[in-house]
Amino acid sequence: MNKTKTILIVDDDGDFVESLSVYLESHGFRVLVADDGDEGLKLARMEDPDLVIMDIVMNERTEGFFTIREMRRDSRLRDVPIFVLSSLYSDGGSFRIQPEAGWLAHDEFMPKPPDVAELIRKIDEHLGTREASK
Amino acid sequence: MNEAPTVEPIVVIDDDYAMRFSCRKILLKAGYIVEDFEDGASGLEAIAALKPSLVLVDLKMPGMSGMEVIARLHEIDSRIICIVITGYATIDTAVEAMKSGAYDFLPKPFSPDELRIIVKRGLERRRLAMLAHRHELERELFRRRFVTFVSHQLQSPLVAVHQYLDVLKHLGDAPGAAAKREEWLERCLRRTEELQTLIRDWLTLSRIERDFLSLHRVPLDVCEIVRHVIQGVELLASGDEIRMEARLPEDPCIVTGDRECVTVLLENLVTNAIKYNRPGGSVTVSVERLNSELAIAVEDTGCGIPEESQPFLFEEFFRVKQDGARKTSGNGLGLAISKRIVSEMGGTIGVRSQPGAGATFTVLLPEYHQREATGTYEQDEDHSDR
Repeated sequence: MNKTKTILIVDDDGDFVESLSVYLESHGFRVLVADDGDEGLKLARMEDPDLVIMDIVMNERTEGFFTIREMRRDSRLRDVPIFVLSSLYSDGGSFRIQPEAGWLAHDEFMPKPPDVAELIRKIDEHLGTREASK
Repeated sequence: MNEAPTVEPIVVIDDDYAMRFSCRKILLKAGYIVEDFEDGASGLEAIAALKPSLVLVDLKMPGMSGMEVIARLHEIDSRIICIVITGYATIDTAVEAMKSGAYDFLPKPFSPDELRIIVKRGLERRRLAMLAHRHELERELFRRRFVTFVSHQLQSPLVAVHQYLDVLKHLGDAPGAAAKREEWLERCLRRTEELQTLIRDWLTLSRIERDFLSLHRVPLDVCEIVRHVIQGVELLASGDEIRMEARLPEDPCIVTGDRECVTVLLENLVTNAIKYNRPGGSVTVSVERLNSELAIAVEDTGCGIPEESQPFLFEEFFRVKQDGARKTSGNGLGLAISKRIVSEMGGTIGVRSQPGAGATFTVLLPEYHQREATGTYEQDEDHSDR
């Protein structure tokens, strides 16, 4: 029997988080929610999530880019897969900030709103959850 | 604009030793850093390393000509000011040089004063050009970020609604979803309303900016509008147990403006004072005469505005971060709209607040004195509008 995987969502839009949480929970994940970068970082350090879904533009001071950088500097969080979900850069071509700049060491980028079936597929891929259930 | 900016390096290129020597002496005395060279090639080499502010170059030199130096030095840095030194015989060439980017020319022989004046003018021109360039960059950056930000604000409600519908569709009748359906549809409706309000406010903002001068500006009694606005928010206030109070002079307080705009202005301030209040608090609206102005103050008993947020309050989309306070709705355009209305009316708006001790927004507007007969007023106004 597999241990339930935990996903941390860092996003300040309560409605977006609500529907996404329910959807992830319906696929058997445990979901944690933070509504700004600081809170997200705190929660990540406390709860060791298996995967993080990160918004970029948030009303609070700490934005997604900053939070990702901080996570990558933390030896315990360095290898946690991070999915960036943002409506700002829905067009992949204009997603200018590059991973090599050290700011966006994320694992997947998806436009917001994401194709939820595709999102689950990608999460399974990163966590090996699909193979495990076969 | 100092008489002699000390850190401005100048390069002189001339094959005539006497000319180099005297230029150098005059400019050093005026406080500049000067390097001089006898031919174009060594001069250019130094220019690439030194990045001087200004170059004085003789047109007629053996080897590389002055014209070639000008062309090459602008490849190195187009912002270097280039002044051509030339004898009378080559004045046509000097004109050519200016066409190819030299800033000015100095015919030989010239006096020390002529040299100083032309150098000073050249450096001033460079300073202005660099300033203009920097402002241009800043404006461009602001514009780009602003467009990005506005589109993000417009997208957020759409994203939330789309996601609700998408998840409902995917989950079908799964137990998790059925229980949520009603609540989620309700939230979808709220977010679409939010989007509509945002678009409406955004249009109001640009309309004020674009059309204000063509709007009908008539004498208005501010006190009457205050009473009207307070009446309009009664329900909102009583829902939050907020007591409304008005302290108004007996006689009318007249300003000139567009009735709808002044109403929007006061509504914004009063609804903010209610929304950012504490339950059981109060809102006081007062109108006072101060010399030739009217001071309209809206005072609340809420949690106040942190000092570091106050300078940004009137900017588009700015919202105060509130720790532990109840979540309030708003799109961050209300105060930006208010400020624009006030400044179009020739007034000012400001805020005074201490965290925990409420906030007071004060609007100062020029009072309109009905010295001339009221009957002729609108006619006069119509003429002046044209």
